[in-house]
Formats: sequence, C-alpha cells, structure tokens
Amino acid sequence: MLKNPQSTPDTQLRIGIDIGGTFTDFVIFDPSSGGIETFKLPSTPHDPAEAVLSGLERIGERLSIDSRQSSVDSGQWTVSSERWHIIHGSTVATNALLERKGARTALITTRGFKDVLQIRRQNRPALYDFAASPTPPLIPADLRLEVDERVDYRGEALIPLREEQLDQVFAQLEGPQTADNRPPSAVRGQPSAVESVAVCLLFSFANSAHEQRIAEKLRAAGFFVSASHEILPEYREYERASTTAVNAYVSPVLESYLTKLEKSLTAYSQYPISNIKLPTSKLQIMQSNGGSISVGEAKNSAARCILSGPAGGVVGCQYLGELLESNLQSPTSNLQFLTFDMGGTSTDVSLIAGEPRITTEAEVGGHPIAIPLLDIHTIGAGGGSIAYLDAGGALRVGPQSAGAEPGPACYGKTGDRGREMGGLVLLSSAPRLLATVTDANLLLGRIPPDDFLGGAMPLYPELAEEALRCVGEELGLSPIETALGVIEIANAHMERALRVISVERGHDPRDFTLLSFGGAGGLHAADLAQRLHIPTVLISPYAATLSAFGMLAADVVKDYTQTVMLPGHCSTEEISNRFAPLLQKGWGNLLEEGIGEENIVLQRTLDMRYRGQSYELNIPFGEDFIAAFHRTHRQTYGYDRAGGEIEIVNLRVRAIGQVPSPKIAQRTMGSADASGALIACRPVTFTDGVHDIPFYRGELLQPGDQIPGPAIVVRDDTTILINVGDAASVDPYLNLVLDIGS
Amino acid sequence: MFNFPPPAPYDPIRLEVFKHRFAAIAEEMGAVLRKASYSPNIKERRDYSCALFDAQGRMIAQAAHIPVHLGSMPLSVGAAIETFRVFGDPKGLQAGDVIALNDPFRGGTHLPDITLVTPVFIPPHPNPSPKERGTQLFGFVASRAHHADVGGITPGSMPVAREIYQEGLIIPPIKLVSAGETNQAAMDLLLANVRTPEERLGDLKAQIGANQRGMLRLREMVSEHGQAEVNRYMAAMLEYTERMTRRLLKNLPDGEYTFSDYLDDDGIHDQPVLIKVKVKIEGDRAVVDFTGSAPQQKGSVNAVYAITLSAVYYVFRCLIGLDAPNNAGCLTPIEVIAPEGTVVNARHPAAVAGGNVETSQRIVDVLLGALAAVAPERVPAASQGTMNNITIGGIDQREEKPRPFAYYETIGGGMGALPNSDGSSAIHSHMTNTLNTPAEALEYAYPLRVLRYEIRRGSGGEGKYRGGDGIRRDVQVLGEAQVTLLTERRVKPPYGLNGGQPGNTGENILIRGEEEIPLPGKGAIELQAGDILSIRTPGGGGYGAK
Repeated sequence: MLKNPQSTPDTQLRIGIDIGGTFTDFVIFDPSSGGIETFKLPSTPHDPAEAVLSGLERIGERLSIDSRQSSVDSGQWTVSSERWHIIHGSTVATNALLERKGARTALITTRGFKDVLQIRRQNRPALYDFAASPTPPLIPADLRLEVDERVDYRGEALIPLREEQLDQVFAQLEGPQTADNRPPSAVRGQPSAVESVAVCLLFSFANSAHEQRIAEKLRAAGFFVSASHEILPEYREYERASTTAVNAYVSPVLESYLTKLEKSLTAYSQYPISNIKLPTSKLQIMQSNGGSISVGEAKNSAARCILSGPAGGVVGCQYLGELLESNLQSPTSNLQFLTFDMGGTSTDVSLIAGEPRITTEAEVGGHPIAIPLLDIHTIGAGGGSIAYLDAGGALRVGPQSAGAEPGPACYGKTGDRGREMGGLVLLSSAPRLLATVTDANLLLGRIPPDDFLGGAMPLYPELAEEALRCVGEELGLSPIETALGVIEIANAHMERALRVISVERGHDPRDFTLLSFGGAGGLHAADLAQRLHIPTVLISPYAATLSAFGMLAADVVKDYTQTVMLPGHCSTEEISNRFAPLLQKGWGNLLEEGIGEENIVLQRTLDMRYRGQSYELNIPFGEDFIAAFHRTHRQTYGYDRAGGEIEIVNLRVRAIGQVPSPKIAQRTMGSADASGALIACRPVTFTDGVHDIPFYRGELLQPGDQIPGPAIVVRDDTTILINVGDAASVDPYLNLVLDIGS
Repeated sequence: MFNFPPPAPYDPIRLEVFKHRFAAIAEEMGAVLRKASYSPNIKERRDYSCALFDAQGRMIAQAAHIPVHLGSMPLSVGAAIETFRVFGDPKGLQAGDVIALNDPFRGGTHLPDITLVTPVFIPPHPNPSPKERGTQLFGFVASRAHHADVGGITPGSMPVAREIYQEGLIIPPIKLVSAGETNQAAMDLLLANVRTPEERLGDLKAQIGANQRGMLRLREMVSEHGQAEVNRYMAAMLEYTERMTRRLLKNLPDGEYTFSDYLDDDGIHDQPVLIKVKVKIEGDRAVVDFTGSAPQQKGSVNAVYAITLSAVYYVFRCLIGLDAPNNAGCLTPIEVIAPEGTVVNARHPAAVAGGNVETSQRIVDVLLGALAAVAPERVPAASQGTMNNITIGGIDQREEKPRPFAYYETIGGGMGALPNSDGSSAIHSHMTNTLNTPAEALEYAYPLRVLRYEIRRGSGGEGKYRGGDGIRRDVQVLGEAQVTLLTERRVKPPYGLNGGQPGNTGENILIRGEEEIPLPGKGAIELQAGDILSIRTPGGGGYGAK
C-alpha cells in the first residue's frame, strides 16, 4: 500500500545523501514534476562533510541554471528553491565503532557488575580456534565504575542510591587533574579525560529512578550521557549494557560531525559561494530501523544510526516494491521481496514480507546492538572475494577479499613491474596475483573489459586468466573451468545467505521476487533465482544509488519499548494503560519533529512467549492478541500450546510520521524491440559451452523492450546476465524484470 | 567443448557447494530448535547440537554448537540403528519415527543430554506408488539438547552419584514417535519422572520440530540432485575431512608423546584420578592410547567412550586449523584406545554425569599436554579445565501457586596462554561453549539473586604470556534450596607451559551472614534463605618464563 499522508502539496526539493566507503551518493527528487536525478561523488573520508557540501553546491548550481534557462536536457526543476529537505545517512557512526575511534567513555553500573561488558555471554567467538578471543569491550576496566544500589525484578529498590558515593565515583571520571583544577567539561580533548558516560544499572527498565538521578548529575557536570533506560529499557543486562556503551561511544563523534555540517549548511545559505546561494535546509538523519529522525535526536542516539546505509537500501527496495504492487492493482497482491546487495567485499541480504523484517539481535563489529534494526544479513562474499585451494583439496572462495588494493587480478594493480612487462611470464612468478569472482566473470566474457564502470577503468583479462590458471592447476582444471567453479561456489555462499533469511525463518523463496542492487549482483541474480526457484528478478535503474533513494522514501520512525513481564491473562485495559506512557512519548516526539497530527501512525505490539520460554514473538496488540500469538507460534515453530500459560515480556510502540513518498513518473510502454540498445555480440562462456550472445547498453533500453536470454545488459554501474531460458523486459519505471524459466 | 579430466568420483567445485548445503541443513535445524525450545538452558545457553548422517550413520555435517557433542552424536545414531535395524518392518525403523535416547551405555553421553534421531526415508524413484512412498532409508538427522532436569536424586540431574540409576531417568533407544504418532505412553512415563514436565515437553517438541525441518531439507536435496549424487557427496565430505587430518598428521613429527594429569577427585573419595595418554604419530596416522588411566570411579566422573572420542576429535579438529566440515572423516586416520572399565571408557552401571562435563576437559588437557611437544607453536597452556556445573533446585514460593524449579548453569574461566598471546579471561574453553543465563532473566525465572558477576583478577598464571582470569559469580538463594556442585581444578591447578606458571585453582564458598564456609569441589549442600553461593573459577596457565 502506498502511503498517502494528507498534507498540503510538498514543494520542497528533497535530497537523499548516503556517504559510503567509496562514493557519496545523491538522489534528488522534485515533488512537483516527479523528476528524479542521481549522481555520485568520491567520498572524502578525512572530512565526510566535504563531499556532501560539494554535492549540494552542484545541486545549487543546477538550480540557478534552471532558473535562468527555460529548458535543460533532462527536465527542469520547478520547485520552490526556498527550502530543501535533506535526508542523510552516513558511515560516521559505523566507522567510529569499527575503527574504535569513538569518545573516551566510562561506564557506571551496579556494584558487582562492572565486568558484564567484558564477560559478555561468556562464550568464545569460534569453537575450533584456540586463539579466537572476543572483541575487547569499548570501555576499559579502569573506566568501569560501580555504585552501591540494587533494584529487583519487580522494580523494588533493595539498596538505595547514596548521593555522597556518587560524588566519589564522579571524581574518578575526571582523570588526572589539570593544574588549575578545572571541571571535567573543560579538559575535554585531553586523551585521558572522559567525554562520555554510559549508565546501565541492573533492572533499570523496571525502575529507572537510580539511573535517572545519575544521568541528571552527570549531564549537569557536562558529560555526554547515555542511560540504558532511555535507549533500551529491556531485560538482559549484557545486551542492554552493550547497546548503551555503543551509544555513549559513538554519539559524541556523530554529534560533532552533524554540528559541523549544520554550521556549514547555515553558512552556505547566508553567504553565496561562487555566486550560488543555497537555500536553508531541513536536515533529517537516517536510522538503522528504516526511518529517519531529527538531527537533535541523532546526536543523542547515534547507536540508532549505525547501519543507516544498508537500511536505506532496504527501504528503497520496499518503496520500489510498493510502486510495482500499486501498479498491478491486484487486491490480493502482497509485497514479497528478497533484497540482494552484492558489493566488492560483502553481500547484504534481507527479506521484505509486507514490511522489512526487524531484528533486535544485531551485532556490529562484535558489539550487540539490541534496539530494533532492519534485519540485514551480511556475508563475506563479493566481487573481490579470493579463490584458493584448501588443504583438503576443495576450491574455496572468500571470505578474504582483494579489496580495492590490490583488487582482483584483472585490475592490473600487481605492481609496475608486472604492468610494464604486460606479459604472463613475469606475472606467473608474482604470487600476489589474486584470483577473484570478478576475474572469473571477466574471463567468462561476462564483463566487457573495455566497458567496466562506464569505461572508466580498464580491465586485463590476461591477468585474470593467469590468476585462475594458478588456482586451477593443482585441481587439473583449465582457467575457464576454474572460473565456472568460482562462480558456482560464490553463488553457493550467497544462496546460503538467502536461505538463512528466508527458509530458516519460515518463508518459501518461491513466493518472493529477488531485488538485486549493488555493483556486483547483476551477474549472479539470475543464477541465484534459479537455484532458489525464485520466479522473478528485478533490477532498478536506481540500483547503484538505492540507499540514498531509500532515504528519500523513509518515514520518520521512532521505536519505544518497555519490559513489563505481565501474565497473558491480564486484561486488554491493563495492557492499554501500560502502553499509554509509550504512546504519549511517541506522539509528543513526532509533533516535536514537525510531523502533522494527521500523518502520525502509532503501532502497538507485544513481545510474547509461553511461560518458561526465553525468546519472544512480536504480535500486534489487538482484541485477539492471544489467539494471534498461538497462531504465529504454530506458523513459526510448527506447534502451539493452546491453553498454555503466556507471558507478555515487552511492550513496543513504533511511532511513524508519514512523509509523502517520491512519485516516480511512469513512462509509456513502447515496442518490444530492444535493438536500439544493442551494442555487440560477444562470446560468453556458460556451463554448456561458449555462446555468442548480444550485449545491450542498459541506459538505452526503453519501456516495453524485451530481451530473450542469453544476453548481457551493460550499465555504467552494473552488468546483468540473462540466462538461456530466461527473458527480460523493461517496465514503465525502467526496471529490468527477469522472468526466470523453470 | 572442454577437455574435462576423466570422470573423477567428485569434483572439487561441487564438493564445496555441497559442503555449504549440508552445513546449511544442520544450521537451520539448530535455528528451529533454539527458537522453539522452552528452557533457558537451550535458548539462552544454547546447549544443543544438530547433525546430519548418511544411511550408515556416519556424521556428514554438524552445526558448530557444542564440541562435546561432536564425536558422540554418531554413536547415538548407531544405537538407534542397532536397536531398530529391521527396516520396513513395523518394529524396525519407519518413515515418521523419532527415536529418543539418553542412555550413556547405549549411544548417550550423560542423562540430561537427550538425543532425538529421525530416519529420513525417500521414495525409491521419482514417481512412487502410494505404497512405495517413503520406503527407502537415505540417512538420519539428529538433535541433542541438554535438558535441565531428567529426574534423579537432585534437581538438575547432575548429582554426585554412585551409580547411574541415581542420576535420573534412563531412556534406552525408544520410538518416541512411531510412524508419525506420538508414543503417548512413553511420553507420559518420561514426563512423570522429571521435575519440570512442561518444560521437558516443550523442549522435546522443539527437538522433534528441528528434526522434521532437517528431514524436509534432506529430502528436498535428494529430489533436486538425485540420490546417487547426494550419496556421492556425502562420502566425498568424509574423505575431504579425512584428507585434511592426514595432511595435518603428516606435517607433525613422528614419535611417541606422553602426558598425564589428574582429576581432583571423584566426589566420593578424596583421591586424585589419573588420566594418561600416549600419542603416537606415524606418517599420516595417529594412535591415541589412554591405557594406564585410572579405573572407573565410584563417583560420577566416569566418561563413556563417546566422550573420550569427542575430546580427541575436538583437539585434532582445532589443530587442523581451517574451517573444515565437522564430520566423521576427521577421526578416520586416528585410532583411539580407551580400555574398558577405566575412567575414560566406563562400564554400566557407573555414574557418568560428570564425565561429559568435567572429565572431557581433562582428557583435552592431557592431549594438548602431549601435543605441546609436537606442535609447540599452536598449543596453549591449560585452560580452566572445568565447566563449573552448578545446579540449584527447590520450590519457588513467590507466587500463590508454589512451583518446583531447577536452575543449571556452567561458568566460564581463564583460557590458557598461547605461545604468542595472553589467554582470554572469563570465557568458556574447549569442550563447551554455552552462554550464561543473564542475571535479569534468572531473577525473573527463579527465586535467586545474583550479587556479583565479575572477573577474578590475578587468577591467571604468570608467564611471558599470562593465562586468562577466572570469574567470580555470587548467587543468593531467596528461599531454602539444594545446590549440587560438580566442579574441578579446585585442588590441582591448570598447568602452565614452557616455564609459565599454573593458573589459580577455583574455589567454592558458602557465605552465610558474616561467615565464609569453604565447600568441596563436588557435592550436594542444603542452603537456607539468604545464603550466598560464591563460585570462583580457575585461571588459565601461563606460557613461557616471565
């Protein structure tokens, strides 16, 4: 169902910006004309805001040209340029966590529990590796401080908090005193000074008074504070402490980035730069739960923004799916997508059944983050995954990746010596020539060597062949056979990932459409669909910037939770009463975000289980929630216990501030003849031999075009393989739709 | 079109592809079991394993869950085959059967580990008549879970007993489900003999669900690739792992290496229990001989052969070092000699609860001690060498209706230092990898309160590289309760290597008011309301002189 929030026609230009490792992507949507444009700029890791501002300048420049000229080649922006609405996702928080460059953070916790962060769940990360040790905690032992206090599971304070002890504990946060004995806030920036404090007391979700008091005093003293009852009022102390610590650790970093960005945006709107004056902008930040939040909120809860890029991708898929469904006009149609984002080093997959799946069991860089995130499963297989022979004589692919440096063998980055000689003789003695999935695709003729990334990067098939020869030799396989094997194994990895998110969770892939985006996915999507009996593959024209695109489509979303541990037989009135504070909070916060009342949707759900179980199912709260629980349990686990005692563990409220979706204009369907886009016929190797097959230029394809397989569609951002027996067509939104033969 | 080499028995590419498919089936079974099970022991602590077998009962793939289940799962399937060997006969194995067992002397390990084995039948050809449907045995799927209570003299069924009859309900291989129908009499009998029948029922149903999922996936695989092909790659998986083991052994210097160490006691007599090993490496084969180990004991530290096999498997599996598939091929080039009637191959009716959890750790210690001379760059000093099994049971009086409860926990400790790095602290080592029960989950579920859960600093052995530190976990009982301790390394510390110091021994202490009363490593104790059980786990050994 497409959202249709009632609001006055939106005339603000909307801009989605996603900072990735390599590129910063921009998607611009003009609501008045329905026009969409995208572009990419190289990311600027030393100062991520630099790429963002250059991109905005470029958009400003374009606007000022439009206002002077009556027409430009790709349509005209007719919006008011008074105000822009920017939705922004970045890897700032992610990198701070993964590279451990966050704020110097302390922990305050209940006496006896300061090591919970280090003990974790006491299991080791790998079973058969003596040397595997868990990720060290973000907060070192000397900064994990304890206070005497205790609350029990009913929320009763067994040991009260003592103010005078708090003062002693706080004194330890200040680190070595400076000569003039300044307060802690003034010595920030010194390596030894604590900037940020995570507060996580036992059972604070049942009674937060102690945590509140500590947080209040710390805030008054000038510390950044993340209190566990604010970010995650749920039981299980390790997961809550970890989430709180991550938030305390990354928030100051995101805050300083966003503050700087806001300042620059203000400056740009007041002082013209190279004659371009940018309008004032409303800035929203993308979260990992698939919604956006205000900058102010993001600065306080950066843990919610850790995986904003991949989340944008999934929301983008959801949006494209809704667009297609609305077009089918079938009352029974039901949104079912598997999203598949294959990049250079890793592949992200997720499942959308009506809505994207949410998880509260995510882990990033070895740190559990138990707030609701879109359930995205990542595996270490991508275009750059390295093929090698293991000790048992099996051909293996990944998880090691050649990365961008040296990259796949065919990039020719094996050193100047190798390139100068250009010959195989020398290279065979260069052991660091890495055979990758990309090399296999190139050798099989599936990537045109002169047309990779729009011809921006020449590839060397002879190097790919040499690298694959080295791997295959021991197995008695030719380079071509090895290449076919590498593809098959890479596909097995990705098939397993898709199975994890579908069949392992009770979904049949046959009921889904595979939505492929990311640079490396187009060559594998059709094979994967066939293996999993997925009938249709869809590749969007916005595939390469789908994350930024998703940000445009994202609603404002806030999640609230509370552990309650109520018996299942308690009345709906009582449950409603317990929901009331969460609903009030959600409603109030959305109004603060500037969402109109008519666009606010509040969803109530319950985490329920049979008494004695220790994992919960999330059930919508309604009159028949008990029956719904039994039913869902049966669906998910194959049995139920009608009449069994039930516990309501958590209440959840999702507050959604609906934002009008971008509306993509439909193109008129033309003839089925795709010959206008035909570039050449080239030999491509399949398992049954070499076939001369047509190559099409993706950017030239028109709605209605039909391409029978086998064929290859080459675009600047990706290459798409259409297999024998499959057929592709271009829909009114310029999506390439692959019909997978049985 | 291509010059393919002459048809090999299998090709290295499909091998890798099938490896993923087999492993995915076992993983999916595990996901189903974890999600659907009842008890915190399975869900929170993940004390379970799932595996896939060929028609001969050889293990093809196991989801990497708990090492101590590794070598022993095939013996469960073997016992199921042994008992119901007549296929097709209504008394023999049939489609829709689920065999349950926990008898350590017939395919089990210790009584709390209940294993469910499901034979997978497939139609003999693509278009079977209704009569032929599902008539041919193709393989097995099995799941094993540690059930928090299976009866016996103490709650939690990990007592310090003298014979197996005291340890709980013994289940020989029986059909818990027969041709799709639950054997209600067997189920009723089982549930009548345990302290928490609802939880057991939920967990058993979850295990049945996991097996059903595994069976479904294996059948799908056969219908997609054909029986012959799947069979071929099942065999290929075993050979593949075997090759990896052989390559490992070949690279190790030939010779005989011996090592011995002791269990503190058997819980009944205050005498150390010797475990001795001689590892002989010869080319690409090895003989692991436990001759000379102590005779089986009165107390519960006896290991059945399956446990000893698992420990040997674990050690060599670690030394292979790659993510080899977990299957029976690993042990093919290794002969394991464990004389019957000893603590490493106990005879009926020995008590065995601790063999699985404690003796298995010491078997690993002696093996690693012997192999330290062979692969000095890879073998760590001794880790904590115990799982610190604590069971607390009693009656939960917090609500109107009193309920019996049984809480079982194992506690991590120090990992031994490595030749090039410190050992990890506060973590499970070697034969187990279960998670803790969160204090907040525990206090909702049981009348208990956790007062401390912290690293026991300074307990790791000194050395060039330090052993990891143990844990201190203090639990207060809010009402009367009975505690069973089954812990080790309270007397003899985990050894250091190459001049590294041993780790600290563990301590069990009862805090009653102001008084601290030392408790034995093994035994049952009655606690009063307000008593605090303080468990301090051993540190790992250090490596190298400081």
